[in-house]
Amino acid sequence: MINVEERVALMEFKSKYIAPVGADGVYVINTGDWRTVRPVLDQDKCIKCGICFMYCPVNSIVKEDGKFIIKYDYCKGCGICAHECKSDAIIMIQEAEK
Amino acid sequence: MNIIDKLNSKEDMISPGISACIGCNVELTLRTCMKVLGPNTILAIPPGCMGGVGVVGWDMMSGANCPVFFPLLDNPASMLAGIKLYYERIGRKVNVVAFAGDGATVDAGFQCLSGAAERGDKIIYICYDNEGYMNTGYQRSSATSKYSWTSTTPVSTEGRGGKKEHKKDFPMIMAMHDIAYMATCSPAFIQDMVRKIEKAMEKQEKGLAYIHVFNPCLTGWGIKAEESIEVSRLSVETNFFPLYEVIDGQFKINKEYKNPKPVKDYLTKIKKYSHLNEEEIEEIQEIVDEKWDRLKKLASL
Repeated sequence: MINVEERVALMEFKSKYIAPVGADGVYVINTGDWRTVRPVLDQDKCIKCGICFMYCPVNSIVKEDGKFIIKYDYCKGCGICAHECKSDAIIMIQEAEK
Repeated sequence: MNIIDKLNSKEDMISPGISACIGCNVELTLRTCMKVLGPNTILAIPPGCMGGVGVVGWDMMSGANCPVFFPLLDNPASMLAGIKLYYERIGRKVNVVAFAGDGATVDAGFQCLSGAAERGDKIIYICYDNEGYMNTGYQRSSATSKYSWTSTTPVSTEGRGGKKEHKKDFPMIMAMHDIAYMATCSPAFIQDMVRKIEKAMEKQEKGLAYIHVFNPCLTGWGIKAEESIEVSRLSVETNFFPLYEVIDGQFKINKEYKNPKPVKDYLTKIKKYSHLNEEEIEEIQEIVDEKWDRLKKLASL
């Protein structure tokens, strides 16, 4: 247990901002564990409109070399991308049982 | 540059894993707003959904890559006004932003927000309106719409009940404060939202910029996760929540439909309205039409 003075000193040295900003690392929880269904993107059907990228609440879809790629690290499996996709390029499949 | 490339080029200011509900469109709103606002931002998030999901940090652990404050439910605007004055004094330009729920804006935080609007404090105030106190189990707020089921306005076994009063027209209340900029947004119209945030950043030099975002809550209202954006879009397409902005007193409607969909299309998607009969739906339709007519008249001034 550190006292208040030490804590303040720690904040000032560890953060480049005036106010403390997660100096020991940003708070992250593994939301990928929540997923029961997983979105799978068919690159042949994809028309590269970017709707899925725009509406993904978790920012799990990234644009790399003109292609949209789904990253599963934090994807919660909400299915918004599959529902909004105009060309039905994304389907939701069940996660295999662990 | 189109909207996709623009958003892709910006840094995500929020932690990749925060515990918002699956499909939550407030999370989408927060990430999009923070991408546009950038790292030169001081954020204040009062108690509410986004305060609870881990964006606000304790003990040097925070869910955002910018300083986040955790004001009380009833003082975000006045706290930020003080912070902004300090930054003005040391001569540093920052975006001072509140991201507050409807409880912290429409109910508890109203007096300090109204005061900040009157003083013309140079802050950006974003309200995510999910029509109730979702963080604590959906109690009614004064932003809850008419006939909504909530845990404090229950529905009887005969299917009668729900809230008796319609929601405050809060964007209009803020517009009537004659603030520098007022706009309403929806997560279904990201391009429109990005443009409005940029406009607010430009207008904050003149006074308070207020953004009201309408976010249907999946868990509280009973909406399927994948229909999150569809229901948000329907709320605009039925004129239940029209998108407009007020720049220096001039009203401008951003989305206008020649044949707006009946409000029934929107209500039937949501479980909290499942007890409504035809007369009650008709009554809500009348309220919506009346408010739309008034807005049209204001826009034509």
